[in-house]
Amino acid sequence: MENKFDRGSALSIFGSDRKEDFMALVFALIIAFAVYAVY
Amino acid sequence: MVYTKKSPALFIIGVIMLAIWYAAGNGMLDGYMEHLAAGKKYKYGAELISIPLYFGAVSVVIGAWQWFGSHTEGAWDYYSSTVAGGMFILLIAMLVRWFIAPEVAVFSMSFGKVGDTGKYIHKLLGLNYVVMGIVTGIIIVNVFRVPEWAQNGVRLSRLGLKTGVILLGTLYSAAELKNLGGLSIIMIGFFVLGSVGLVLWMGSRRGIPNSMGGVLSAGMGVCGVSATVASAPVVQAKSVEIAYTIGTILLWGVGCMFLFPIIGNLLDMSYVQFGAWAGTGILNSAQVAGAALAYQPDGIETLKVAEIFNITRVLVLPIIVLWLAVWYVKREESVTETVNVGRVIFEKFPVFVLGFILLFALSTTGMFAPANHYKGKYFDNSNVKTSKLMTDEQIAVLTANSDKVVREERKAALARLIADRKIASIEDDATIRGLANSKVMGKDSGKILKKAHKAVRHTAKKIKAFRKWITWLFAFGLVGLGMQITISSMKQAGGQPAVIGGVVGLTKAVLSLVVVLLIVSETI
Repeated sequence: MENKFDRGSALSIFGSDRKEDFMALVFALIIAFAVYAVY
Repeated sequence: MVYTKKSPALFIIGVIMLAIWYAAGNGMLDGYMEHLAAGKKYKYGAELISIPLYFGAVSVVIGAWQWFGSHTEGAWDYYSSTVAGGMFILLIAMLVRWFIAPEVAVFSMSFGKVGDTGKYIHKLLGLNYVVMGIVTGIIIVNVFRVPEWAQNGVRLSRLGLKTGVILLGTLYSAAELKNLGGLSIIMIGFFVLGSVGLVLWMGSRRGIPNSMGGVLSAGMGVCGVSATVASAPVVQAKSVEIAYTIGTILLWGVGCMFLFPIIGNLLDMSYVQFGAWAGTGILNSAQVAGAALAYQPDGIETLKVAEIFNITRVLVLPIIVLWLAVWYVKREESVTETVNVGRVIFEKFPVFVLGFILLFALSTTGMFAPANHYKGKYFDNSNVKTSKLMTDEQIAVLTANSDKVVREERKAALARLIADRKIASIEDDATIRGLANSKVMGKDSGKILKKAHKAVRHTAKKIKAFRKWITWLFAFGLVGLGMQITISSMKQAGGQPAVIGGVVGLTKAVLSLVVVLLIVSETI
């Protein structure tokens, strides 16, 4: 896929894989905490 | 560059979601849901009256702002503009999960179950929301094109997949390790690593891109979609390469599922031997179960062994990801440069796989479910409600039919069940399940045995919630992934993945058959 954006890459809105990984980790931990607290 | 498009699209998406919520909540979809349920209870009723409301409301508010507001370049514009594409993918994922996938299932069920597998065509072909999500995405991008206002948000799909992979860790527990036989660990370790190595070697010989070889090796070596998704970012795999890998695995699995039981019968393999072979040689979990049940329709001994081998594969996943991270950097960087493995691991090892391990560790502590759970299901006979204990009438039915049971271990488990009015142990639970499946005691007894099994098997609510999150994150990610696959990119990838996948799959199937026949006896 051709990248037509001036930020991020063709496959991600983040500048680097590591940044995307950390964001995924943050989201996952938020979900895990919410599930732990609610159920 | 201003990313937010002044378009009513997101607002309209919100209105559609709210319309679905309203129609479902007011009974307007009851008739259609009944049709999709095919005689059972429609599974997604609760989702239909909650999820579209939350996301619909968010979409309407942000959509109105995107449509009528003024937008200037900056971080806020960049990130908030992704909402339109994200909600576009989510709406399609909703339609696929709630309506399209069940519609395909209803159509498939109209043809009846396939032979002795006890499964319908759509189950055997793996035609679930995963595959249909990708296919829908591919159709959208190639037939209609991804609209301009959605393009930035489509790039969120990989974030969704990574979050899903991290949460996958909650479904497993190290306590499960003690249930795995040493043989399964050795065999799986050998064949997983062997398959990965063989795909990488063949890939380099046949000149396919490293990213394609990397993602295909994980898919062929470990299992199905999760491994493919987890390894893709490490080797910078393109969307089309991920889709090809999933397609190759599913097609290969379908062939194996029908061939394995025939060969097993020809060679007169024992249940344990066949279970070990199917669990090693077939890649997709549903297809492993299909082959095992086809081989032994009247019991679950084969299925249990196959499942043990299948579970073991997941545990090898972090090792494979690590291997691929180092391999990929070595291949991509200049060959004259010495690669510092420690540096590569530090710089390239995906944090999201560490997240998977972290949640796996938390799950092992018993934080989300009793520590011995597997995918949230666990055995516990200590707190069976009085209403779920067997009644005198049920005991009378079982007693009247007990002389039909021939096998000693089944007789003993049945006697304990009748005496205690509930299943006595986890081992008895497996035996009673096998007895129910064998149908030797007749239909009524079978129903009672299944009830007794259900009374001691529990599903952890937290894990159930995690499964839903994972399902949605994968559905979201895979629809978005499909939207990044154009026909031209498929042509570019060519037929090499299928050839390599076929050769490696065949090698693994033959070698594992030889190993199983040589060293696997009745017990593990």
